[in-house]
Amino acid sequence: MTALLQVERLNKRFGGLHAVKDVSFALEAGSITGMLGPNGAGKTTVFNLLTGFILFDTGSVHLDGRSLAGLSPHRIVNRGLARTFQLARPFLGMTALENVEVACLAPRVRHAGHPRVRAQAWLDQVGLDDKAALEVDALPYGDLRRLEIARALATRPKLLLLDEPFAGLGVGEIEPLAALIRKLHRSEGLTILIIEHKLREFMQLVESVIAMDFGEIIAVGDPSAIVRHPRVVEAYMGNADLGLPNIEPTGAGDGAA
Amino acid sequence: MRFFSVDWLAALLVLAVLTAVPWLFGSGYIIGVMTVALCFAMWAASWDFMSGLTGRENFGHSLFIGAGAYTAGFLNVNFGVNPWWSLLAAPLVAVAFSLAVGFPTLRLRGPYFALAMLSGAAVMQNLTIIFSGYTGGQDGLNGLDPIVDSTLAYYYLTLILLVTTTIVLKLIAGSSWGTILRAIRGDEASCQAAGINVTFYKIASLTISAACAGLGGALYAHYQLQVGPDLFAVVLSINIIIMVYVGGIGTIYGPVGGAILLNVLTESLRVFSEYRLWVYTLLLVFILFFMPQGLIAPSWQRIRRMLP
Repeated sequence: MTALLQVERLNKRFGGLHAVKDVSFALEAGSITGMLGPNGAGKTTVFNLLTGFILFDTGSVHLDGRSLAGLSPHRIVNRGLARTFQLARPFLGMTALENVEVACLAPRVRHAGHPRVRAQAWLDQVGLDDKAALEVDALPYGDLRRLEIARALATRPKLLLLDEPFAGLGVGEIEPLAALIRKLHRSEGLTILIIEHKLREFMQLVESVIAMDFGEIIAVGDPSAIVRHPRVVEAYMGNADLGLPNIEPTGAGDGAA
Repeated sequence: MRFFSVDWLAALLVLAVLTAVPWLFGSGYIIGVMTVALCFAMWAASWDFMSGLTGRENFGHSLFIGAGAYTAGFLNVNFGVNPWWSLLAAPLVAVAFSLAVGFPTLRLRGPYFALAMLSGAAVMQNLTIIFSGYTGGQDGLNGLDPIVDSTLAYYYLTLILLVTTTIVLKLIAGSSWGTILRAIRGDEASCQAAGINVTFYKIASLTISAACAGLGGALYAHYQLQVGPDLFAVVLSINIIIMVYVGGIGTIYGPVGGAILLNVLTESLRVFSEYRLWVYTLLLVFILFFMPQGLIAPSWQRIRRMLP
């Protein structure tokens, strides 16, 4: 059985900067994987390459065995690969419902039912059901993150890429969002790839981790092994205590409490 | 869409007033002013459909107006074609122009589209002077036939076409197409991430906008019986944008009202003779300073909220 996403020897240069170097990895259907690394490691660039927002120089990306090379972002979404942005980017001046409705109008899901009804269902799913009629300009940042996820889900992706979903959230907002992502993975069987810095929540969420530094993959493994991996420790400035919590193996389940 | 909503009642009321104008003010002069006002209304509504909804400002709407008007002029004056054909040919030529400007520039983000429209209109204005052997230069093309002979009938023809285009544009703007256009105004990258082909929607909307502007250009040409290089002028485009802002951007019906209001205002200020432009400008500054969201559409929204 081939993997849902197969990435091989991906390369991207920006002038003299080799931002992504020979990155290869595969994601199995139904898996939840993390992408870890210090700022500037090339994680977001990898996301932009996978989703067509930036074209890669060499290498290949296959989703379900079909190449995504050279496709524009909206075509890749309609193949079943959706993303969220690091900074929530809502459609200002529109209501939360309309924001999600736009994604329900993508060709991939256009004929799946009434867009407004489906948009409401996705808002229910992420816990924003009572805020459907509000203009997004008035929503707090945590809600915008959920809205961003609802919008990505509305395109019914096979694979969802989340770019730092916990960034900028208050303490009280992190655990509910982690629970939402866990629910989507467990009950919907959605395949997920997450970039994150908030290590504690993140490590409890994912099954395996791809660690990057200077545009390269430096280690792959389960979360508890990754935080002790010498190159990962070195990448975080050689200080093993710096922000790296003691992690229980993920098999322990919802051990956040 | 609810057909007996208060919006439709208000629209019918306005339509009734516009229909009654010739009886209320019997003079041919006022009918003429109103016919021109309705042409401007068509231009303002079509500008609003593309630029008001998507937020991609078009500083050269006169490109489509001039293209439509000169198409009418060439066909009618040079080839003796029946003026009714102008109503079909002018939108087609305007659409061709919109594709020529839209295809290369609307794929890009940044100011390229706005600049290309501005310079496209300026280039066409100069071309009409350079090729004066064909275009009549500054004098333009003269002696067009009217589409219908009486000014009264011409007013009603213009009114029917304005009402039709406004309803069509309003229906599209209220549909899922309009939702997508407003999302493009919000954030293009997010729109792509939602699986929407942003370039397609921008170009398609520009062609619809251009078709309506070209239609208005042909109506205007056959009413004035003359076309000239001023129909490509930047100042015409700017006037249309002012009418849109006074009416209320992004609402379609607001710009229609704004165009009619400002045309009537310009005419009624003739009593101030040489101080007319002073008064006009002061009034505009006053309106846009105290009502930055516009006059027509926001006022209607306020009235609506007070209704049961």
